[in-house]
Amino acid sequence: MSMNKQKILIHWRSILTILMCAITLSGYAQTKTVTGTVVDKQNEPLIGVTVKVQGTTNGTVSNFNGVYTLNNVPQNANLELSYVGMKTQTINVSGQSVVNVTMDEDTEMLEEVVVVGYGTQKKVNVTGAVSTVSSKELESRPVQNVSQALQGIVPGLNLSQTNSGGALNSSMSVNIRGTGSIGDGSAASPLILIDGVEGNMNALNPNDIESISVLKDAASSSIYGARASFGVILITTKSGKTGKTRVSYGGNLRYSNAVQIPEMLDSYRFAQYFNQAAINDGQGAVFSDKALQNILDYQAYQNGTYTGTLTDENRNQIMYGTTADSNNRWLMYGGANASTNWFKEMYSDWAPAQEHNVNVSGGTDKVTFLVSGNLLDQKGLIRHGEDKFNRYSLNGKMSIKMAPWATLDYNNRWIRETYSRPAYMTGLFFHNIARRWPTNPVYDPNGHYMEGNEILQMEGGGLDKNEKDYLNQQLKLSLEPLSDWFVRLEGSYNTTINFNHWDKLPIYGYDAKNQPFAAPWEGGDAGQSAVGESTYKYNFWSVNLYTDYSKSINDHNFKVLAGTNIELMKTRTLGGSKKDLITPLIPTINTATNSTPSLSGGYDQWSTVGFFGRLNYNYKEKYLLEANLRHDGSSRFINDKMWGTFPSFSAGWNIANEDFFKNLNTPISTLKLRASWGQLGNMNTTQWHPWFLSMPISTGSGTWLVGNVKPNTSSAPGIVSSLMTWETIQSSNIGLDWNALNGRFTGSFELFNRRTLNMIGQAIELSSILGTSVPKLNNADMESKGWELELNWRDRISDLSYGVKFVLSDDRQQILRFPNPTKALSNWYEGQVVGEIWGYTTAGIAKSNEEMINHLATNKPSWGSNWAAGDVMYKDLNDDQKVNSGKSTLDDHGDLSVIGNSNPRFKYGFTLDVAYKGFDFRAFLQGVAKRDYMLGGPYFWGASGGMWQSAAFTQHWDFFRPEGDPLGANLDAYYPRPQFSQSSKNQQTQTRYLQNAAYMRLKNIQLGYTLPASIVKYAAMQSARIYVSADNLLTVSQITGIFDPELLGGDWGQGKLYPLSRTVSFGVNLNF
Amino acid sequence: MKLVKLNKKLLSAAGLLAVLITFNSCNEFLDRPPLSQVGPGVFLNSEADLASYPLSYYGSVFPSHGGWGVGIGNNDNGTDNQATANPNLNLYTKGTWLVPNDGDLGFGTIRGCNYFLEQVLPKWKDGKISGNSQNINHYVGEIYMIRAMAYFEKLKTYGDFPIVKTTLPDQGDVLIAAAKRAPRNLVARQILSDLDSAILLLSSSSFNKVRITKEAALIAKSRVALYEGSFLNYHKGTPRVPGGPGWPGASMEYNKYFKIEIDTEINFFLDQAMAAAKEVADKTALTANSGVTNPPARDKFSGWNQYFEMFGSKDLSKFAEVAMWRQYNLGLSVTHGVTIYVERGGNTGYTKSLVDSYLMKNGLPWYAAGSGYQGDVKIMDVKKDRDLRLQLFLAGEEDVRTVKKDADLFGRPSIINIPETRDVTGYRSRKYLNYDPTEAPGSDLTCVSGSIVFRASEAYLNYIEACYIRKKSIDGDADKYWKALRTRAGVDTDYTKTIAATDMDKEKSDWGAYSAGNMVDATLYNIRRERRNELASEGFRFNDVVRWRAMDQVSNYIVEGFNLWDEAYNDKVYTDPKPGEVTSTGLIADGSSKANVSNKSLSKYLRPYQIVNLSTNLVFNGYNWSKANYLSPMPYRQMQLASPTGDAATSNLYQNPYWPSEPNAAAIE
Repeated sequence: MSMNKQKILIHWRSILTILMCAITLSGYAQTKTVTGTVVDKQNEPLIGVTVKVQGTTNGTVSNFNGVYTLNNVPQNANLELSYVGMKTQTINVSGQSVVNVTMDEDTEMLEEVVVVGYGTQKKVNVTGAVSTVSSKELESRPVQNVSQALQGIVPGLNLSQTNSGGALNSSMSVNIRGTGSIGDGSAASPLILIDGVEGNMNALNPNDIESISVLKDAASSSIYGARASFGVILITTKSGKTGKTRVSYGGNLRYSNAVQIPEMLDSYRFAQYFNQAAINDGQGAVFSDKALQNILDYQAYQNGTYTGTLTDENRNQIMYGTTADSNNRWLMYGGANASTNWFKEMYSDWAPAQEHNVNVSGGTDKVTFLVSGNLLDQKGLIRHGEDKFNRYSLNGKMSIKMAPWATLDYNNRWIRETYSRPAYMTGLFFHNIARRWPTNPVYDPNGHYMEGNEILQMEGGGLDKNEKDYLNQQLKLSLEPLSDWFVRLEGSYNTTINFNHWDKLPIYGYDAKNQPFAAPWEGGDAGQSAVGESTYKYNFWSVNLYTDYSKSINDHNFKVLAGTNIELMKTRTLGGSKKDLITPLIPTINTATNSTPSLSGGYDQWSTVGFFGRLNYNYKEKYLLEANLRHDGSSRFINDKMWGTFPSFSAGWNIANEDFFKNLNTPISTLKLRASWGQLGNMNTTQWHPWFLSMPISTGSGTWLVGNVKPNTSSAPGIVSSLMTWETIQSSNIGLDWNALNGRFTGSFELFNRRTLNMIGQAIELSSILGTSVPKLNNADMESKGWELELNWRDRISDLSYGVKFVLSDDRQQILRFPNPTKALSNWYEGQVVGEIWGYTTAGIAKSNEEMINHLATNKPSWGSNWAAGDVMYKDLNDDQKVNSGKSTLDDHGDLSVIGNSNPRFKYGFTLDVAYKGFDFRAFLQGVAKRDYMLGGPYFWGASGGMWQSAAFTQHWDFFRPEGDPLGANLDAYYPRPQFSQSSKNQQTQTRYLQNAAYMRLKNIQLGYTLPASIVKYAAMQSARIYVSADNLLTVSQITGIFDPELLGGDWGQGKLYPLSRTVSFGVNLNF
Repeated sequence: MKLVKLNKKLLSAAGLLAVLITFNSCNEFLDRPPLSQVGPGVFLNSEADLASYPLSYYGSVFPSHGGWGVGIGNNDNGTDNQATANPNLNLYTKGTWLVPNDGDLGFGTIRGCNYFLEQVLPKWKDGKISGNSQNINHYVGEIYMIRAMAYFEKLKTYGDFPIVKTTLPDQGDVLIAAAKRAPRNLVARQILSDLDSAILLLSSSSFNKVRITKEAALIAKSRVALYEGSFLNYHKGTPRVPGGPGWPGASMEYNKYFKIEIDTEINFFLDQAMAAAKEVADKTALTANSGVTNPPARDKFSGWNQYFEMFGSKDLSKFAEVAMWRQYNLGLSVTHGVTIYVERGGNTGYTKSLVDSYLMKNGLPWYAAGSGYQGDVKIMDVKKDRDLRLQLFLAGEEDVRTVKKDADLFGRPSIINIPETRDVTGYRSRKYLNYDPTEAPGSDLTCVSGSIVFRASEAYLNYIEACYIRKKSIDGDADKYWKALRTRAGVDTDYTKTIAATDMDKEKSDWGAYSAGNMVDATLYNIRRERRNELASEGFRFNDVVRWRAMDQVSNYIVEGFNLWDEAYNDKVYTDPKPGEVTSTGLIADGSSKANVSNKSLSKYLRPYQIVNLSTNLVFNGYNWSKANYLSPMPYRQMQLASPTGDAATSNLYQNPYWPSEPNAAAIE
């Protein structure tokens, strides 16, 4: 080994010597000095263009003004000018001493090479379904993470919001070509590789990305094997480039507010709505006439129209909306009469953020480097308490050409994410906002925050602080022992270290005598304090060893690749919590005094090994063939289930390269028809050890105290199956790519069919006499079918260059096999289209009792009672005069029918960019053209599930009121009459309330201006761009105004989640 | 030349590496078991392992305080004893309760016990479990007790029920075969057999009685045996009893050889009940009642009446009568809200029927001549000279609410509060109240008073009742127990005097006055009265009236509360409420949607379900009982899954009487 090292060193020296000689020694033929300016088509000077005398190492680089000077140029030499993104030009000096050059953009070259599995490939030769994104499309978006920027850009790459909504630490869920699993025991998420190693795309600074390739079909992703079965997202980060050292800075300031929050009814209408809901339930009114009057008085006082007198008795009530009870506590709810819109109170209007990026890169022939840093400092939308996210990243890349045949790459990436939020801000907080009645005041008459409205908890109840460090180390050795034969050894070690601190601090309310009292934090814990610390560490180790060889014999081009991939993940966790802090100012475990801490800690692991091979062949780049084979082993399965072998094939035919086509003289330069078929194994079982029967043991957490301490508890283990094995993903794809009108019009169309075979389905349904859940098995099949279209138009009209990109995709999933022999609708069944919504058909809302009685005579629901005016009339569909669900099976579904489908269909993105004399404009629309959704819960219905769970928003005021109702008749109401406890009667899934959740969103619009070079040069800059960019400015949707069409979920019920942000950003990009 | 050499070396090194990885260590590298979980093989081998196991299942079989509200004090709601703001429409309005489409039969706890017994018994018999053998025996005994209690729940809910004593495999045919419903008497015998095992193994008062005790198991045994004996006795001749006319089990092939001698069977259970009850009653004295009905001073919040404090103290281990209880701890966040809700009203209330059932101290019913009854204009009046249990546990105007502040009395009940803190009937129970000022330092869920799981009085009562059904007379032991209970209640011990003075026509609002729609004799009635009065608000009532078949006659049964319209209505609390108080509108009795009390013309007593006289109020005309409701309907889907043909109609898990075999359908009768 030391011998080898020595030899490498020797080699190094000799190369250096040669290089030095070339640079320093002048030739002694007839030479002269040549100078000139290099500009692009816009006549802007090009900086850093490499100019050299062809066939020699004599070269230079153009300066700030695009001017180069090259000495010792032979009279008749050819100058070779090269620059990234431009067509390389060769110009004969012909004795001139001034040679000015205008360089052409090389659009073909920019797009030509595509990053594919374990290598790159010319785009014209790609036979799988691969889409690419360039860094340009991610630029200047005021987004927090990459997935937000990717949404809608790549056809077939679907990004959707989760139940975390717009929270600062939330990331979107990603799938390629629709869901590939029912998600019951296995996951179907794409593999995300950053520079070849699995990583978290959302932790990455979007500005560090050079390009993204999305591998969509089995043929293109199969080389990655076991974890790539639902596609791969390959992210390549920027690298240093030979040439002058370049420094760039990008920074922006942003302001965000919530895109969509509900609007509460004012307290007067709220009170009447609640009264109606109680009365319709057969209970007394919630608010008495006197209470209603108090509300009116308060509102009048706030508007300055109160005409009554203020007395000691009523002052607090009229001015502040509350009064003290006999225990000297300020009253809330029915005893209070303020008018607070709690959503407005809880969310701030313009949350600031800032982001800074610095990037330094450059290099010589031997060594290139890049160092980049990023700082993101973002405040959340929550008004009370600290809601804040910071990201710091530092990225270094170095490439050392040790010898003409050996290159060593070293990458190091450090990312730190810190996130802090009020400890109280969990799903419960979002659940509670709408449960605080508008009659509750924010402040008591003494100016303190009222107790019981979450503000105390949010402001002073402690923080949940998270600090996550990603450390990625990557070393790559590339060898080229013979020309076109490469051997690559790549090793990566990624660690993720997460520290979480959580503290719960005592909070204090004030009573009517202005005395503080300890207030409960979440019920029953007044005055208590606690602190929790937890950490986890992931160690991920990955090695790739592979080799490829290309050979052309006449017009037959071959490339073979073979290699192995080894991955090992080890995790460990440690955590503890303790109660009773000495002081809330120092919330640490060391300073908590309770003698019984709660502790936890553990380890886990998985590993995978794969062997792969690929063969590419093409004839004159006309007929293209590719074959892949992957043999995978996974620690998730045992015995003979451990290993699986998965093949894939693809072929292409570039018709444009056929002589007959060329003879047609069409403006089409590429017209490639391709097809692929392949199988992949999926090892992403939800459990890492699905075959292991684990004893459920819980230490020190039993709530049936023994000896006045929490005891250990244990219980019976469930049942596991050792039969669980690989899901097989079989996908086929047909595609067409074209390039016409000299690259002005490009596009592609894909048609795919992906089957998840032997999917881990639900267990077979068995009698609950078993007493535990039935283990899941590979017993279901699912199919995803769809298509993708991408159209690009790019052209220039004199000084105005513009481009239009349109992407459209659709996918539908169907269950082909499922263990549900009775086809019960409560479960998946064969033939089911994923997302289908079974519901009743609504005839309308009965306007009178008579109408209801007449309707019931032939349409009597099997549920509910006391049907009356204002209730929903459900339709009998099967002519049995009753409305019911039959046996709730596919064969006997009574009056249920499929009324819609909640799967988003026809997902599109539309980008327009225009540049004109330094100005640039970009608009990006994203949307879903078809989607049905059945909303439920109090956010949608208002009164639902009892008084304390109900809400009342402005939309809910449109409820049924009969003729003569004191609140004014509303016979054509949208909502039925409200009821608290009998609410489910009218709230069945049904046609009337099915929402159209399709939407179109102006995701981004930006306007930039690049200052003229003639100006910026005075500031020692090469270029400077200023811009304003805005995200989520406009949404078009028919969905109820209570909901954001992208946020239909919520951990505590629909709509109860952190809203998305509308962000406006002002920024600069500077290059030095 | 050098170059090529170097490459060759590199190449061979790389090749070697690949070969090594491929052939040597792949499967080893992929052998990645979990690192911090244990498999079944290494567990349940020691005393400590065994100790942890039963505790997971306590919560599923032993009711105890928890959450917002008055805890186990809520468990009599929806009977003739107690009422909450929302009536139980499923039980008391016809056509509301539907056959569920699906539902879990609840075998989780049973399987948990079976798993334990399968794993532990062989090791235990071989002496392979390390630790103190008495404790090991105790934990095994706990599992038998838990399995018995889990089955008792099923017996009460469904009657006939499959008996499963092993962990079943996940195979459909095995499960279908296992789903054969055993006739209910066999289920009850299985429970008794488990309890016998438990009694044999359990120790008496270790663990401060927060774990299961031998006495608890004996009381449970008397409870189950009495339940089944009396159920068979009173439901005899209905389809609910195996072998009875129309019994759905009769048509099951698997019951081909089933035979039952019903009276022998009844006697068997009653004998078992008496024997088990006697064992506890004879060795357990009742907690003394000092006769003091309120804490005498602020600093004397405890020690003034052991009987009262037995229901609300933080440590119940000191009461011999308590056979098992649950402990709470504020620091550990294991708390409930009972004390707070008793202090301010907790969406429940005693009915007039219950209050009327208490005797005068002289042993006479209130209506009897010379009873000394003071009327019910005030709650303090109705309590005057009554059974001390009424005096202690019914909150009167001048009783102490809390000693946290001076002179804090209950005053008039909170009848127009929001439901959560409403005294629904006006009669508030103060059973479970804890006067300790350190109780509930925060509000709501900071209460830590103990929760009784079993107490010995039940054994006294079980014996008396079982004895009378069995022997048609009060034997010496029953006489002794009854007198002990009456002594503690401060009531004249001569129960014959009470029996003689009882006018059954005056007891019609008491469901316990009936069985199968007919009035029972005065002796049996007074035994039931004793039980009702002693165990009020402890969650016994519904089970009692079910096993007595005491709801056949329930038709348009009106629930009444305290006397509102003689005097109380005029109280300042209602006429001049403090500003800003919830629904501070005063009393509205117009029957409209805004009404908050029932109209005087209906009754001078508050009728909590006759406040709003709209068609939307389904129980305005009272409770109506359906025959089917004595047993719960089998979930339809579970019937299908337990059917050899997949058809519910031919299921091993047949439907209960008067319930249809179709989903979402109402009872037939």
